[in-house]
This record gives sequence, structure tokens and C-alpha cells, in this order.
Amino acid sequence: MSKINDLALVCENIRMQFGGLAAVSNFDLLIPEGALYGLIGPNGAGKTTVFNVISGVLNPTEGRVRLFGTDVTGLSPDEIARRGIARTFQNIRLFRNLTVLENVLVGHHLRREATLGEALLAFPRYRREESDMLRTSQELLEDVGLEDVAHYRASALPYGQQRRLEIARALATKPRVLLLDEPAAGMNPAETEQLMQLILDVRDRFNLTILLIEHEMKVVMNICERMTVLDHGQIIAEGTPSEIQSDEKVIKAYLGGGVIARH
Amino acid sequence: MTGNRSNNFVRKAGIALALLIAFYLCLFWVQTGWDVYKVRILNLSAIYIGITLGLNLCNGFAGQFSLGIAGFMAVGAYTTALLTMSPQTKAAVFFIDPLIWPLNSIQWGFLPALLMAGLVSGLVGFAVGAPAIRFRDDYLGITTLGFAEIIRVVFTNTRTITNGALGLKGIPPHTDLYWSWTFALVCVLLMVRLTNSSYGRALKAIRDDEVAAEAMGVNLFYHKCLAFVISAMMAGVGGGLLGNLITTIDPNMFRFPLTFTVLMMAVLGGLGSITGSVIAATLVTVAMEVLRVLEEPRVILGIFLPGIPGMRMVVFSIALMVVILFYPKGFMGDRELGLDSFRNLAARFRRTFLRKQV
Repeated sequence: MSKINDLALVCENIRMQFGGLAAVSNFDLLIPEGALYGLIGPNGAGKTTVFNVISGVLNPTEGRVRLFGTDVTGLSPDEIARRGIARTFQNIRLFRNLTVLENVLVGHHLRREATLGEALLAFPRYRREESDMLRTSQELLEDVGLEDVAHYRASALPYGQQRRLEIARALATKPRVLLLDEPAAGMNPAETEQLMQLILDVRDRFNLTILLIEHEMKVVMNICERMTVLDHGQIIAEGTPSEIQSDEKVIKAYLGGGVIARH
Repeated sequence: MTGNRSNNFVRKAGIALALLIAFYLCLFWVQTGWDVYKVRILNLSAIYIGITLGLNLCNGFAGQFSLGIAGFMAVGAYTTALLTMSPQTKAAVFFIDPLIWPLNSIQWGFLPALLMAGLVSGLVGFAVGAPAIRFRDDYLGITTLGFAEIIRVVFTNTRTITNGALGLKGIPPHTDLYWSWTFALVCVLLMVRLTNSSYGRALKAIRDDEVAAEAMGVNLFYHKCLAFVISAMMAGVGGGLLGNLITTIDPNMFRFPLTFTVLMMAVLGGLGSITGSVIAATLVTVAMEVLRVLEEPRVILGIFLPGIPGMRMVVFSIALMVVILFYPKGFMGDRELGLDSFRNLAARFRRTFLRKQV
């Protein structure tokens, strides 16, 4: 068991049942610290359900989620964020009416120690925290290349930058594990290229463990070290990119067998 | 560098103090020089500014569509009234069912009574808000509206505390311009500090996307309750000031139209704008009085026109529709009118001159 406790993120036998439909069942996941792990599968395979279970949006019908050995199953999303799991969303969910900088600042809010009273009366501790957060937020924006648009409304950004902003916002919570839900969706090849570089960069710079959902095969195969393939809520394969690419079941799930293939 | 900064601070504090003194001198001038009717309208404006800001905090900044303001105002108004009325007046007013002990024998000063009103309505706000904020949008609106009605019905029936439908009369007229405008000022400062703080950003994040806010570690329950309770407290203190201004209150004052009036002020000014609320609350309060002219019988071109009661509300609704047509997000949207907006305007001009962009 000591080995399990060393892993960054562990899912044990997760089952998520919606009425009569098991969106995910018998789902196991072992991600070592510092890994860049992929979760792939055709549409409707249950990938986002897995993300929602890990990030606390859904409470699994069965199974456990462990973060560095600690059981975090069934905690509320904000508690899980505080424990060190941050995520992005498949359909971008930015705070549209806030500026780019404010979006990142919200990510810092969970580490605030100054109370509401201190904030209202502008006590030294609050002011110190606020200026620290401002500085780290600006640094984060520089890291993802959004420093020039820091005072734009988030909704005014082009699509690719919105994706980057979501990642920056997630990083602001200082996570240990980052979940990226289709970060390259809707991006053109050049943007995808930049994004892959960004993901590799932030993993090294922030000592992150990253779990990535992706449809874009190029992204997963290029940057993920290992991956799990889901189909109809079941794991059908697990391994390195080259193993997955030659796996019969995966090829069948993506290209044939009645499932509509993407691209 | 530090010397510069402290100099800057001293200068800012000096300006603020000077403005404050000028503000109160103005109030002194109005309070002593103007006629009672105008002073009354200005009092009402200030009270509505505070209450509208409270509603705006909950509905505009935090995006929690609450319609319970009238209920919280009732709680505040009754608390203040019962604490400030003299035992003799209470004995005279409660002639059917006597007031319960200890309320029948106490008389507090206005300030502690107002603070108590804020506290009590804050507690009621929490009791109402904590279960209700699980709902969203219109469902939350309906739930809070129901709670406000429940408060009113309870007040109609607890005759030994509220004197039931007879209401309270002879409330000491403590509210003057100093009280009401200090309240408005405190509300404005509170809102400015709160909405620009990290907590305010979290509220706006909840408004924009609840799911994402929670995923970023924002505790939804805490922050929604925060908005709800502060909003209720502001409404409670405002209600207390209102009761001691008009000196007589009864449960029917706090029906839904009162909530609607405040909501209209907030929407007209722009949900999410402090200056918008201030402008709209003042404008609507003044307009309500100015339009009374329409309801008086008068002779135009030799034709006698009888006054039509309610005519001003018709005109008012038309004006409201026209405004919403041209300013769908209210006068200010979610922007603020301040020094910064002038600076931004200047910066925008400069940008357009330097290079063609945006």
C-alpha cells in the first residue's frame, strides 16, 4: 500500500451510475507524481465524467479517489481545489465579465488568510496579501503570454487565449495535480503546437502532475507518457503511446465497430 | 519612495477629510434652510441609496436573484421602532393586546437601535438565505419572495410584538439628513471596499460562473451567505431609518411593490454598478415626487382635467420602458463613474490617435 500512497492521483474502482446508465465503471487510474498522463476515448466514453468525479462535481456511486494517499472522495469541489487539484473545462468557463487579471486573482482567493473585516478596513495583512497576489498573478500571465491583455475582459479574448487563461487561472490555485479537459479543442495547428509547449513548460516549472483529456491524437501521442483509453465507460487499454497506437481494441473503438470516429 | 507614498497618503486623506466636511456642511445647510418637503425627499433618497446598494450586492454583484428586500426592511423597521419608542407611547399604541416584556419597558438610543436592526435583519437574512441559496435564478427569486411575504404575514399576526395590522404609530422622528446620508455614505464605502476586494471578486466570479468559481476553490455557501446577509443588514438599517422618518409603519407597507421599487432602482442604475445605484435611487425617488403633479386636478387651455390617481405610475412605467429600451443594462451597466473612467476615456483617445486598434 505504501506504493499507492506515493502516487499523485489514484482512482480505485470508480463507478458512476446515472439512473440505469453506468457512465463509468471499474475505472482504475494510477498516476505517479510528475507524470503527464492522457485519458482518451471516443465521444461519450465517460472521460469528462471521470474528471467530474475527481474534481468533486460528482460523487461516485462506488470507488475512491486518492490524492497523494489522502482520500478525497465526495469532498466538495472547492475543498478539492484547496487540497490541490485544479481543472479546466471542456467548454471554456471563464468569469466573462471580469478582466483577465481578475480571473487569475480569483484563483488565488482560496489561499487568502485575511478575513472579510480585514479586507473591508484594508488592514496591513490584507494589503500585503493583495499585493503578493497581484504580483504572482502578473507573473502567471507572463508565463502563459497574456500579460499584454491583462486588463481586457475575459470574454473579449480570442479563443486560443481564453484556453490559456483557463490554464493560468487553474495554476493560480497552486495545484499539485492539474486536470485539463480537452485543452486543444477548437485550436488551429499552430495554436495546438504552442499549447503543447505550454503544458510541458508548466509541468516542469510548477512541479505538476497533469491528467489530460484529449481528442486531438497528435497532442496526446506527442506529450503524454502513458495513457488510459476509455470506451463506453470501460477501460479498454492502458499503456505508452506506441502501445496504444498498435492496440487492436483501441483502433476498433476509434475507427470501427459502430462507433462514429472523429476526424 | 516610502516618503513619497506617505505624502501621497496624507494628501489623499486630506482631500477625503475636506470632502467629508464639505458634505456635512451641505447637509447642515439643507437641513436648516430647505423646506420640510424637500428635506423629506432627500432623506428618502439617501435611505433608498443604501437599500438599493444592498440589493445590488446580492442581485448584481453576486448574481443571486433575491426578492426578499421588503421583508428585511420590515424586520429592521420594526426592530428600530420598538426599541426607540417610549414606554408611554407603546402603552398607548398597543391598546388591544399589550406589548410583551421586556420590549414594553425599554427605550434605546437611535444608534444602538439601528445597529440592532442591522443585526436582527442580518440574522433573519442568514436564516432565510442559508437554505434558499441552494436555488438559482428565478427559483431563488420565488423562494425569497415567499419568505418576505411570510415575514409580513407573521408581523400581521404577532399582535403582542408588532401590534398586528394596526401597525406602530408615534415612532420618534429621529431620522434626519445626517443619519440618512451617513447611512448612504457608509453603504457606498462598504460596497466600494467589498466589491474591489478579493471577496468581491469571488462574488463576481460566482455570478459569472458558479461551477468554475467552485472549481477554483471559492466556497459557494460562505460567499453567497455573505452577500445575502450584508444585503439584508443594509435593508434592515434602511428600513429602520425609514420607519423613524415617516413615524408610522404597518405590515402592508412592506408588500412586494416595495421590493419592486428597490429592484427597479438597481436595474435602472445597472446591476453591478455602485454609482449606477446611487444615481438611479436618487433619480427614482425624486421623480416619484415630481410626477405627483400629474395626479392633481388642473385646468389646461380652459379645459378642466380631473386628477387621476395612479397616473404618475403609468408615466413612470412608460419612462422605465423607454430607459430599458435604450439602456438594456441600466444607466451604468456594470461600470462605475469615477476618476478612473475619465482617465480611461483619455487613454482611449490617446490610443486611437497613436495607432488604429480596437
